[in-house]
Amino acid sequence: MKITVEDVRLGYNRRVAVDGVSFVVEPGEMVAIVGPNGSGKSTLLRGMSRLQKPTSGRVLLNGDDIRAMSARQVARNLAILTQSPDAGPDLTVRELVFRGRYPHQGVLQRVTAADIEAVEWAMDAADTAQFASRPLGSLSGGERQRAWIALALAQQPLVLLLDEPTSFLDISHQVEVMHLLRRLNHQGMTVVAVHHDLVLAARFSDRVIAMRAGRVEFDGPPLKVFEPAGLERVFGVPMMVLTDPETGLPIPLPRPDPLLCPVAHTGSPLSPLPAPCS
Amino acid sequence: MTGMAAPTVHEGGALEGRSAFRSFNRPALVVVLGAVGLCSVAFASLMYGAVTLSFGQAWSGLTSESDVFARNVVWQIRFPRVVDAMLVGACLAAAGALLQGVTRNPLADPTILGVTAAAGLASATVIVIDPRVPQWGIAAACAGGGLVGAGILYIIAWRGAVSPVRLALAGVALSAFFGAAIVGLLASSRTFLQTSLGFLAGGMYGSEWRDFRAMLPYALPGLLGAFLLAGRLNVLALGDDVAAGLGVLTDRTRLVVLAVVGILTAAAVSVAGLVSFVGLVCPHLARYSVGNDNRLLIPVAALYGAILVSSADLAARLVISPSEVPMGIITAGIGAPFLLYLVRFRE
Repeated sequence: MKITVEDVRLGYNRRVAVDGVSFVVEPGEMVAIVGPNGSGKSTLLRGMSRLQKPTSGRVLLNGDDIRAMSARQVARNLAILTQSPDAGPDLTVRELVFRGRYPHQGVLQRVTAADIEAVEWAMDAADTAQFASRPLGSLSGGERQRAWIALALAQQPLVLLLDEPTSFLDISHQVEVMHLLRRLNHQGMTVVAVHHDLVLAARFSDRVIAMRAGRVEFDGPPLKVFEPAGLERVFGVPMMVLTDPETGLPIPLPRPDPLLCPVAHTGSPLSPLPAPCS
Repeated sequence: MTGMAAPTVHEGGALEGRSAFRSFNRPALVVVLGAVGLCSVAFASLMYGAVTLSFGQAWSGLTSESDVFARNVVWQIRFPRVVDAMLVGACLAAAGALLQGVTRNPLADPTILGVTAAAGLASATVIVIDPRVPQWGIAAACAGGGLVGAGILYIIAWRGAVSPVRLALAGVALSAFFGAAIVGLLASSRTFLQTSLGFLAGGMYGSEWRDFRAMLPYALPGLLGAFLLAGRLNVLALGDDVAAGLGVLTDRTRLVVLAVVGILTAAAVSVAGLVSFVGLVCPHLARYSVGNDNRLLIPVAALYGAILVSSADLAARLVISPSEVPMGIITAGIGAPFLLYLVRFRE
C-alpha cells in the first residue's frame, strides 16, 4: 500500500513539531525514520496514522485521504504501534491479540473463523504462541513487545508503523524484532519505523528518512545518505561512518573525543595527532 | 482467568476436557449459579417481610388466586419490590462496570464520581417543588440530573489528557457539592424529613409497579447500551493510542459511555435514592469470576448487582422486622469494608 505524505504540518498548541514534510512510501518498502529527540519523528508517525490530525497537509493511503476514511477503514489497512503501550498486567497475550480484530468485527464482535485464523497467524509470526496464555504482567520486555506486535499483526494491515520498536530491548531481542519486521516486509508489508539506533536502521531498512527540527534533512538508501556530513547536520555531533565488512552496509558512529577516551590506545601519547580510541 | 475472554483457539477434544471446562464453562457456571441465587433471593423476598408466608403460601400466592391474602402480599407488595430491587442493582452495577472500564480506574463508581448525587439532586428538587409529582416525572428528572452530572465529569476530567487523579478529585468535589445541595434542599423543605432519610440512605421502601414502569424506559436502553459498548470498552482499555489505532473514536466513545452511565444511575436513583457501593463492588466480583472481557464482565456484574441489592433489601426488611432499615446501610456495610480492602491490598 502506497503512503503519500503531502506537506504535512503537525503541532501541539502553538508548538510546531512537524513543519511541512512530504514524501512517498512505495508499497513493500521498509523505511526508517531517524533524528534527534524532539525532531518530530514520533509526531510524524502519529500524523501518518489517525492518532493526530495534521494542522495542514494530507496523508494519503493509496490515494485516499486518511482523514476522509473512517477510523475503522484506516485500521483495517494500517496498524501503528506507539512507544511503550500499557494495557495493565492482567490481560493474557491471546486476549490482547484478539482485540486486534476489532476493526474487522461487527457491533456484537462475533468471532469468525477468519478472526481465529488471523490471531493464530499473528501470534505465530510474532513468535508469541508459547506464552499465549500468560498475562502481560509476567512477560519480559522482549516478550511484551512481541505481544504488541502480534496485536498489530492481527489487524492484518498492509502498512505497519512502529515507534522505536527496539528501545529498551537487549541486543538479542532487538535483532529478533528487526528480523521479524524484515520477514513481514518480505511478505509484502510496508513497514515504517522510528529508530534511535542508526546501526539497526542502516542494516534493516531500504531507505532512511532523517528529520531535524520538524523537517526532512535527508532521505534515501542508507548506503547513500549515511555519510558523516549529513549525519552531523542532523545530530549536531561529529560523526564517522564505518563499513560493515560482511555486508558492506554503513555503520554510523559518533566520532570519539580524544580527551574523553580511555587511555589504552595504540598511538603514542606524545604524537601531535591523537590516535582514535581503539 | 486463562483466556476465557478470548474465544478459544484450540477447539479442545476430550483430552483437553479439563482446560476446556476452565476456559469455557466457567462463565456459564457463574451465570447459572447467579441465576439460581437470584431466584432463591427473589423467592425468599416473597416469603419474608412484616408478615412471614410459608413456602407453600408464597408459591400459591404467586401462581394461583386461591389465597387472596397471599396473592395480594406477593403481587401487590413483594414481587414488584424485589423486581425493582433487581433492576436497581443491575443498573448500578452496569454503570460501575462502565465507569471502571472507561476510566481504567478500579475505584470508579457512580457514587464516588458524583453521578448518583447529581441524579439525586434532580430528584429531590422536583419532589420539593411538587410533592405530588408522578413517578415518571421523578425518573425523567433523575435522567436529566444524571446526564448533567456525567457531562460535567466529562468536561472536567477529559479536557486534554486523561488523569485518574483529576477524575477522582473532580468526582469527590461533585459528589460533595451535589450531596450538600440535596441535604440543604431537604432540610429547608421540612415536610419530608421522614421519607428523605430513606432517600438519602437509599432504600426500596414502598416501591411498587409504577416505579418499575417509570424506571424501565431508562434502565432497559441503558443496560442494552452497556452491553453493546462492551467491545469498544475492551479496546479502550488498551490505552487511547492503541484504541485509536484500532479504529475506536476514543472521545466519542467516552462521551457515549458516560451518557449511558448517567441514564443507568438515574434509573436506579429514581426508585432507590442514593444507594452507594453497588457499582463499586459488583464489577470487581465479576472481574474476579469471569475476567477482564467487558462483554462478559458487564452482564455478570449486572447479575451480581441484582443479587446484591435484592438480598440487601431482604436483609433491610428483616434486621429490625417488622420495621425496616434503609437498604443503603446494608450495601454500605458490605461495600465500605470492601473498598478499604481494595485500597490496602490492591494497587
